[in-house]
Amino acid sequence: MSAAQVTADTAAVTGSAPLWRRSLKALLASPVVWFCLVVLGTVLLCAVFGEQIAPQSANETDVSRAFTPPGPDAWMGTDDLGRDVFSRVVLSAAPTLQVSVTSVGIALVVGVTLGLLAGYYRGWVDVVVMRVVDVMFAFPVMLLAIAIVAVLGAGLTTAIIAIGVVYTPIFARVTRASVLSVREEPFIKAAKSLGARDSRIIFTHVLPNVSAPIIVQTSLSFAFAILSEAALSFLGLGVQPPDPSWGRMLFDAKSFLNQGWWLSVFPGAAIFITVLAFNLIGDALRDVLDPKTMTKERA
Amino acid sequence: MARRGKWTALAAAAGALMLALTACSAGSGVNVNPSTVTSGGTGGGTLVAAIGGQPDQLDPAVTTSYNSFQVLENVYDTLVEPDQNLAMQPALAESWTTSDDQLTWTFKLRQGVKFHDGSDFTSADVVYSYDRIIDEKLSPSWRFSAVKSIKAPDDSTVVITVKSPSPNLLANLGGFKGLGIVKKSNVTSGDIKTKPIGTGPFSVEKFTAGDSIELEANPDYWGGAPKLDGVKFTFIPEPSTAMAALQSGEVQWTDSVPAQEVATLKNDNTITLGQVGSNDYWYLALNQAKSPWKDVRVRQAVAYAIDRDAITQATKYGNATVNQLAIPKTSQWYTEYAPFTFDEAKAKSLMAEAGVTSANMTFLATSDYPETVTVGQLLADALGKIGITVKIKTVDFATWLDEQGKGNFDLLMMGWLGNIDPDDFYYGQHHTDGSNNYQHYSNAEVDRLLDAGRTETDQAARKDLYAQAAKIIADECSYIYLYNPDVLQVWSTKLTGYEVRGDRAIRFRTASLAG
Repeated sequence: MSAAQVTADTAAVTGSAPLWRRSLKALLASPVVWFCLVVLGTVLLCAVFGEQIAPQSANETDVSRAFTPPGPDAWMGTDDLGRDVFSRVVLSAAPTLQVSVTSVGIALVVGVTLGLLAGYYRGWVDVVVMRVVDVMFAFPVMLLAIAIVAVLGAGLTTAIIAIGVVYTPIFARVTRASVLSVREEPFIKAAKSLGARDSRIIFTHVLPNVSAPIIVQTSLSFAFAILSEAALSFLGLGVQPPDPSWGRMLFDAKSFLNQGWWLSVFPGAAIFITVLAFNLIGDALRDVLDPKTMTKERA
Repeated sequence: MARRGKWTALAAAAGALMLALTACSAGSGVNVNPSTVTSGGTGGGTLVAAIGGQPDQLDPAVTTSYNSFQVLENVYDTLVEPDQNLAMQPALAESWTTSDDQLTWTFKLRQGVKFHDGSDFTSADVVYSYDRIIDEKLSPSWRFSAVKSIKAPDDSTVVITVKSPSPNLLANLGGFKGLGIVKKSNVTSGDIKTKPIGTGPFSVEKFTAGDSIELEANPDYWGGAPKLDGVKFTFIPEPSTAMAALQSGEVQWTDSVPAQEVATLKNDNTITLGQVGSNDYWYLALNQAKSPWKDVRVRQAVAYAIDRDAITQATKYGNATVNQLAIPKTSQWYTEYAPFTFDEAKAKSLMAEAGVTSANMTFLATSDYPETVTVGQLLADALGKIGITVKIKTVDFATWLDEQGKGNFDLLMMGWLGNIDPDDFYYGQHHTDGSNNYQHYSNAEVDRLLDAGRTETDQAARKDLYAQAAKIIADECSYIYLYNPDVLQVWSTKLTGYEVRGDRAIRFRTASLAG
């Protein structure tokens, strides 16, 4: 490795370090962010320690105590098969997080890679990648997800794949737009003139400088992924019974709106609060990472 | 509740009906509202009835959809038809005699009956209708399996000869409207699919795809002109939407009744709830072509591990009767027998005896019948306790039928509808050569008893044969029987003269509607 390259690397890294620290500080100053962190922390706790937190197993049925209203015995009541709604809401956190994290992970890796390649190389790579992305954008997200699940068969894994695929284009587009401006920066030209390989330039110099919008997009995508998972499960295409899932619980509850309001309210509230937390975090991240907003704040 | 397709199962092997009905509201049914007179009828208004889906087509011998038969019940007639007690009564045939050897049946036809297009009904129409089903192997053709020939010596006589004594011939001929008498020109022109011509109390006036089917009263109906001017069947797949439409007065009758709402509906004085025991039965079947389910002890373990009362409560909310055989208490063929109790310890010991400590089971459920998914979840919990891990596979009903046919299941739950004769309940499902023996059950003694039941003309001896067969079938868990559900229908208190029937036949011929 040449001395010049090291200098360029350091510049990129040190250039962003104060931004991170500043951003984190700005983030944590907001009470909204703390609220979101508490919510997401709780969801994470439920996902990891669900078995310990839930008073009952998710599938323990007892028809004789069906439709018990919320009370000391069952905090969120019981459903039509006498299963404890609280336990099922808690135990649904794991599949929900599993689907959203994995699918957004897939979308992130594939989408960002495609965006980097398209934006950096331009030319035919750009044309091919972005036209494919345009085609995928032409389909409504849920329609495309349902089509994918219809082909692959319903289940948790296919839900992950389907949601991952439908959120890939947005990452590709967001990444490419940022890459287009970064690739014209002098430090990229410098790295090129020093003989750095394309892969090194893309991942070491371009990627860190386009990460801010990607981070914001990731946070927002978590919210959309959770909603998509709930929607797929509601349509019977996601998590399969008897395993619990917020969307599936809502689907089951829709037949019993007159028998037990708690069957739909609690899983619905879980979806609402989790999605809200991801959205608010996404907004807060955008506020602190967006250069335009930052300038205003500093001024 | 979904009803599409149930009839598919039915038409594949079901049969006739017999059931003592408890009374529902049977009003005097005389109410005249001249303002809505269009044609036909005597001014009883036009009834709007909500059914669960659109009939695939209206050819009675071809369709297998229950939605089609909901409409066709009012359009076609059969030679004989079941009364409220599901005993066969004269319809297009006024009387019939059998020869001493029980091999020749002679039917005398009703005189002066006309088709909806004004042409005369004769014995040639009967011969054509039946021969068409036999020659073209249409879906009800199995009902003629014992029939050797159908002849029309004169315009008002039909002679049917059978290969062996057939005590269930009348039930086969009149059990459902798939055997309705059609008109040849209507069939050959192809119009029968959307504008069928029958001899029934109502004629089809208009079939609007995706919306409704409109019937008009037949003023020349042999049983007397209907009181209603007409009936409009609308298609509402979602039960809650149908209930809302009923409560708002948009429709006056529906059978899309969610079982969990029954308790509330009983207290609603603007509607009438019709509830009666049915001849339908729901069951579990284990695939005996696969290990370990081929071991009778493992099947019995499953039978002991399930709580039938809980299953019945969770699926039908008390609107069903638990039964460990197929034929309901209300039938004259009922046999009391309940070998299994809910006994986890017994189930575990049977599993141990069979040497099975753990097993994986795929439960084939269908979203078209949500009760199968509900029961799947109860079973996942109950069977988990005796070492069987249940995975629920939920598919649409067409796929479900396909998977059943291919044997791609360990366990499934389904119901059979519209059975009347004991042969309908047991032969196709449990005879080694039965057309619906998807679970691959085979027992020589059961085969012998079921074959004997087909030709035994002494009623008591026949009942005994089926009782013996049914007990073996239950003991060996060819089917694990669950319950007989009630038929649930609701209608506006303005509709009078209508009665809910245990065979799910929907007859509006005597109904009328108040302003």
